[in-house]
Amino acid sequence: MSSSSTAPVGQQQLDPATPLPKKTERPHPLTPLIRGWVVLVAIVLTVGRQLIPDGSENTGLPPVRWIILGVVGVCALAALAGLFTWWFTRFVIDDEELRIETGAIFRSSKRIAFERIQTVDLIQPLAARIFGLAELRIDVGSGDNQTKLRYLSRADATRLRDYLVARAHGEQADANKASSASLLTDSSATDRVIATVAPQRLVGAFLTSTEFLMSLLFLIGIYAVTGIFGVALYALPAVIPYAIGLISLLGRHVLAQFNYTLAESGKGLRVTRGLTNLTSQSIPIDRVQGLRIIQPILWRTFGWFRIDVDVLGIKTSHGEKDSGGSTSILQPVASRDQVRAVLALVLPGVDLDRLTLHPSPRRSAWLRLFDFWTLRYGWDDDVVISQRGWLIRTREVVPHEKTQSVRIEQGPLQRRLRLTNVHIDTTPGPVDLVAKQIDALVARELATSQLDRAREAGRRAAERRSRMASARPDHLAGPAEPAILARFGIGRQDLLGAGNEARVFALPDQTHVLRIFPVRDCNDRAQAEEARLDGLLKGFEHRPVGLELPLIVERGHLDGQDFRIDRRIRGTDLSAVLRATPSTVSRRELLLTYLDAAYVLRHLPVPTPQWARLIAEPRVFGSLADLLMDQIHRATMNWDLLSAQVGDLEQPLGELKAALDQRRCAPALVHADFCPPNVYGVEGRVIGVGDFSAHAVVADPLMDIAGAIAFIELESYPDAAADARWLVGMAAERLGDAEARWLEVYRRFYGFYYSMDPTLIDWCAAQIRSTGPAVG
Amino acid sequence: MDALFAPPAETWRPISPRWKSLRRLTTVIGVPVLFTIPAVLVGVLAQLWWVAALLWAVALVIVAIRVVLIGRTYRSWGYALRTDDLYITHGLFFRSLVAVPYGRMQAVEVNSGPLERAFGLATVQLITASPASNASIVGLAPEEAAQLRDQLTNLGESQASGL
Repeated sequence: MSSSSTAPVGQQQLDPATPLPKKTERPHPLTPLIRGWVVLVAIVLTVGRQLIPDGSENTGLPPVRWIILGVVGVCALAALAGLFTWWFTRFVIDDEELRIETGAIFRSSKRIAFERIQTVDLIQPLAARIFGLAELRIDVGSGDNQTKLRYLSRADATRLRDYLVARAHGEQADANKASSASLLTDSSATDRVIATVAPQRLVGAFLTSTEFLMSLLFLIGIYAVTGIFGVALYALPAVIPYAIGLISLLGRHVLAQFNYTLAESGKGLRVTRGLTNLTSQSIPIDRVQGLRIIQPILWRTFGWFRIDVDVLGIKTSHGEKDSGGSTSILQPVASRDQVRAVLALVLPGVDLDRLTLHPSPRRSAWLRLFDFWTLRYGWDDDVVISQRGWLIRTREVVPHEKTQSVRIEQGPLQRRLRLTNVHIDTTPGPVDLVAKQIDALVARELATSQLDRAREAGRRAAERRSRMASARPDHLAGPAEPAILARFGIGRQDLLGAGNEARVFALPDQTHVLRIFPVRDCNDRAQAEEARLDGLLKGFEHRPVGLELPLIVERGHLDGQDFRIDRRIRGTDLSAVLRATPSTVSRRELLLTYLDAAYVLRHLPVPTPQWARLIAEPRVFGSLADLLMDQIHRATMNWDLLSAQVGDLEQPLGELKAALDQRRCAPALVHADFCPPNVYGVEGRVIGVGDFSAHAVVADPLMDIAGAIAFIELESYPDAAADARWLVGMAAERLGDAEARWLEVYRRFYGFYYSMDPTLIDWCAAQIRSTGPAVG
Repeated sequence: MDALFAPPAETWRPISPRWKSLRRLTTVIGVPVLFTIPAVLVGVLAQLWWVAALLWAVALVIVAIRVVLIGRTYRSWGYALRTDDLYITHGLFFRSLVAVPYGRMQAVEVNSGPLERAFGLATVQLITASPASNASIVGLAPEEAAQLRDQLTNLGESQASGL
């Protein structure tokens, strides 16, 4: 993906009556000025410093008017360049994507599909706020650069933000619905405000916080001591770093948190804060890795707490000076009730007060005289907690399934006292859970049981995810389904299956099936895709390959839902057959015919002999690598989850592209979703292949064989993994080792491509990490 | 070995005995070299040769202690593979035990520096999402290291859990 295009964004020129799609807009004219003001200030400062008369130097400066002319000239050039960029930059809201087009000579178009958008943050840097403008940051979750839209008027920015968020959730949205964002706050129409912090409380809390007071006392102490000895002046340079630290503390805790508002929105929490740089930051709840609740000693009288959060993917610094960086402070100052409200959202079902906390033994006083009596740890079914400190009471909470590893560390003194520290490691961030100075035997038990709890919690979380995923098909049943079923004289009991896209029913004549699609945009794009699929399937009729293939017989529409009648393929889907065949020998015979079917698909006729995508946004490509990398880049919506498991994605991607560049073969039809649920068998043989979809491309036919083998691993019958390994060996025998090594390459392609389905992330990560053919 | 650092199964798998030789070499050569530089600087520049002698004495003491304790340090290293986790322990004075679930392993690296290669040793390093995990096993024979890496990779794939 290209690096972030910081495209200036335009003024709305539409009136509310204009229909939704295809809005083309231009940047706000003041954008180049705002972006350039920093440069201007820098220039002025640099030149100004030169101009200040400094007696000892002999600089031989040119006369003042030349300098002024120079500065004006540079500014004029910069303004012209900015104007030029502004003129040629637009952004377009299309049916399915947002497009940002920049460049006069070298046009570049950055496309962001709505469903890939993870979060949209609204930032109002100081300069932009003066003019009533704002910046939008769109995060597509593929790990690196955010797309920045600069600058929109505030009203347009909030409107666009709400629209993008709604579209990202898959809802129909009205781009003209107004929502409020004022000079100091920002909220979307769908947010539910949970907590706010009044400025007085923020400042008061800061002044009484232990960090501030300690730093202040330290400074005063230094001055007192050095004053007594009369060397105060010499202490100044040493003290400056502390003073700077104090000011940055003020900046972080007061200025950056000014007008703090916490709201619940859609996918998680949204935090809006900031005095000079108003930032609106989204925190997806399932990315939270741990919490830290802090209470400085003086806050106890007021009942205030601060919550820091360890979030996966929050970068600790953005490049630019005027950008509002995201911080890890979830709530700067919160009352007990507000803390409870937030915890109920982030850690549902966990009641921290009811946990029993175990103290450290008394002998830990030898090692931690100042706070040994405050050390606590404890756990329940969901989280593990540690607590320490009295000047700053700190409590750290980590859900079990976020445990990365467990460490026991013991120094020589601790060994004499039979004490040890237990670390529960999480991703880098403010939360560092350490159960300090606990008894050695208890520590061992805590560590080993923590691993069990982590595994258990991970399993429960995976179950929850798959339950939510499998619950989807019922959600797909739209309101018109009964009417459509009635028209064909069948009922819900004839449901054959439900996939991600449609619910399939058997028709009475047993030779056709009825496919009912969920409520979706009945727009031209979907119609065109259906038509292309129809054409492709009709083309298959001309060249029989010994397999039953689908055919669209009729398409229809009733009460807002589409339906389709397809020719039914005989037999049962292979998933069910494999599950019902306990005998390994018969299963493997069946799997050999499965492999044969994958091999045969390449003979089917295709509309074009070139590398191409066929159904959704059909396009011809110059090379196999271009086609497959483009396919991958259309499937990046869950790459943050993927890179959480795999680590760096750029390197395997680069390797994949390099490998694909080397491939020499002839283009042929590729189903690209050749898996047991889509393949049909009768009496121990595979006789049909169905569910040709938007995944179909004209590419290397070896991809279907690779997919056939890799997707076996997703099957749920007990010997699936063994069968997959055996199939790899079989394929290597048939194709020869030279061809068979490409199966591994395509395995990785599928790992990236099918990450579009979040329930498959674990399998995708395994595909990407696979090192070589495991011939079994 | 006390109960806290007892192996989860019967016994810890040891690292290669050649690690002792490597350690002896780096100690006997490395530590004096490290101390010689400041000692010589102090002696030549400040003519405080007694400070230099002191530094060399300190170096000698460190070398002696390390060499004497090499046997025990070697024995303190161990790793064990259980059904779901990998345990690694090491350390003589500052002991440590790390347990990493297979599903949390993002990558397994086998590294071998020039000295290690000369002694026929390799280091296996496990990378998780948390940099503090610091799960690495030094001083393994290269075949063992490669085998461990493959084993861990397979186990990691089959047990991968989301973040």
